[in-house]
Amino acid sequence: MRTIIAAPEDSALKETSSVERALSWLVRGKDPRASHAMLIPATLWLLCFLLLPVASLLAMSLATRGPYSSVIWTFTWANFARALDHKYLVIVLRTVGYALSTTGLCLILGFPMAYFLSFYAGKRRETLMILLMIPFWTSCLVAIYSWIIILGRAGLLNNTLLWLGVIKTPLLILNTPFSVILGLVYFYLPFMILPLFSSLEKIPRTYIEASYDLGAGTIETFVKVTLPLALPGVFAGCILTFVPCIGDFLTAEFLGGPKTYLIGNLVQNQFLMAQDWPFGAAVTSVLLLSLISGVYLYQRLESQELERA
Amino acid sequence: MTKNKGLASFCCLIYAFLYLPLAVMFVFSFNDARRNVVWKGFTFKWYGSLFHNAELLSALVTTLELAIAASLFASVLGLFASYAMTRHAPFKGRGVYASLMSVPLMMPEVVMGVGLLSFFVRAHIPLNFWTLAGAHAMIALPYTASSIRARLLSLKDSRLEDAAMDLGATEWEAFYKVTLPLAGPAIFSGALLAFTVSFEDFVTSFFIAGIGIVTMPIKIYSMMKFGVTPEINALACCLLLLTVVLLASQKLLVRKDATS
Repeated sequence: MRTIIAAPEDSALKETSSVERALSWLVRGKDPRASHAMLIPATLWLLCFLLLPVASLLAMSLATRGPYSSVIWTFTWANFARALDHKYLVIVLRTVGYALSTTGLCLILGFPMAYFLSFYAGKRRETLMILLMIPFWTSCLVAIYSWIIILGRAGLLNNTLLWLGVIKTPLLILNTPFSVILGLVYFYLPFMILPLFSSLEKIPRTYIEASYDLGAGTIETFVKVTLPLALPGVFAGCILTFVPCIGDFLTAEFLGGPKTYLIGNLVQNQFLMAQDWPFGAAVTSVLLLSLISGVYLYQRLESQELERA
Repeated sequence: MTKNKGLASFCCLIYAFLYLPLAVMFVFSFNDARRNVVWKGFTFKWYGSLFHNAELLSALVTTLELAIAASLFASVLGLFASYAMTRHAPFKGRGVYASLMSVPLMMPEVVMGVGLLSFFVRAHIPLNFWTLAGAHAMIALPYTASSIRARLLSLKDSRLEDAAMDLGATEWEAFYKVTLPLAGPAIFSGALLAFTVSFEDFVTSFFIAGIGIVTMPIKIYSMMKFGVTPEINALACCLLLLTVVLLASQKLLVRKDATS
């Protein structure tokens, strides 16, 4: 395309060349084929870098492990049976539990925050939004490193508490479920706040005034007007928080211990350490399928809820 | 609107929570101690040693090159795709394309990482700079597409292209002389987002960066994993500064775009 863009631009004589006619056809977009043609590059890209890789993963989950991380293409369900074995099922359930708690906590912490930003922040709103984006775009490795400094056995938090005399011996904070969930909430809170904020922004303020005019109190207005109208944001925020939580492995690797091993760690381990790719693929497929069914069920729930509202 | 003290103080607490690690990182980047927990004294030496660390500098160059390539790919792809989605007459299958384009946002990165790894290795595609840049462009595509889409939709109402064509321009001329320059800031701000996405990406690079490709996040990971050095804090502060500059320029562009 680049070379065509650089084509001579003085068509003062209006002798449209065939190249230019073709480009005009493409840009005009009355013909569905032109639309498809313009969408081909992105589609091919997603096909090569997303759909085929995921499909190959699903296929590999049915194969057998060969020597030296090779793969023998025989059809078997053994990897799935192993992935749902009680030894690994614990990890799956733990991951789902952590992801659900993180999502819940993010909603509890994020909703008041988004509500404040949208309704009370006034002129400072833009500055506050930028301030929210900076931690969101900071490399999560760096933040993890700081949390280690804060939460460690001889870390800032323990030192402060010892100095204040609140505790006599350092607490074990790092490498516990608490520190992992804290890390997850830290990383994914902005994923919750941003969609909540944008759906609160879309609520016409006249609706709320009307509710007050008709005699409803603050709480009644919130429950009956604001909250139902903000539901799309709640749903979007929950999905955007839950999905990356399910696949997270860095947080558990650095802030957690052996008791907080998550699916992400298992997948990473199978692909990079144990070199059992078919089993790793099966675990990833379990992760993916549970995620897809979860999101699907959630969307069904969402549409029902929205119809009711 | 009335004031709400309770909510305001709650938000202050959340901001404190979000900024606590950044503050710690900043303070400890000046700490004169190898072990990073106790404060020993003020020093600039970690910043000094950053600029003499050849491995880090080469990682920085690789990360920048990668981010430039990925943001270029993502903005070109995003421009074509969002143009067809917003400006063309509604066509069959538009919904399918729209949901396809949002798939990267709905996929945990670890799944994309291992998927790409197993696909490339099995298909005998070499893991090199370009495959990694392509993967980053795929992850960044939803960001560029949505940024450009918003601008193209707002331009739709202005009917400037109609005016250009009434004055004798062909559709193509109207596109590249009117639409493209007007959408320019949005394309650039989408590209900046894509740049940031690629620059910060760890998980995908971790799985598919071939041997010899060391990006900044991968370097930080191995520094954290094998032998902690206080240089990380100094490095993180520099990276944070870069991120703030990028984000601020993106925000400024969006605002300028909205007022013009």
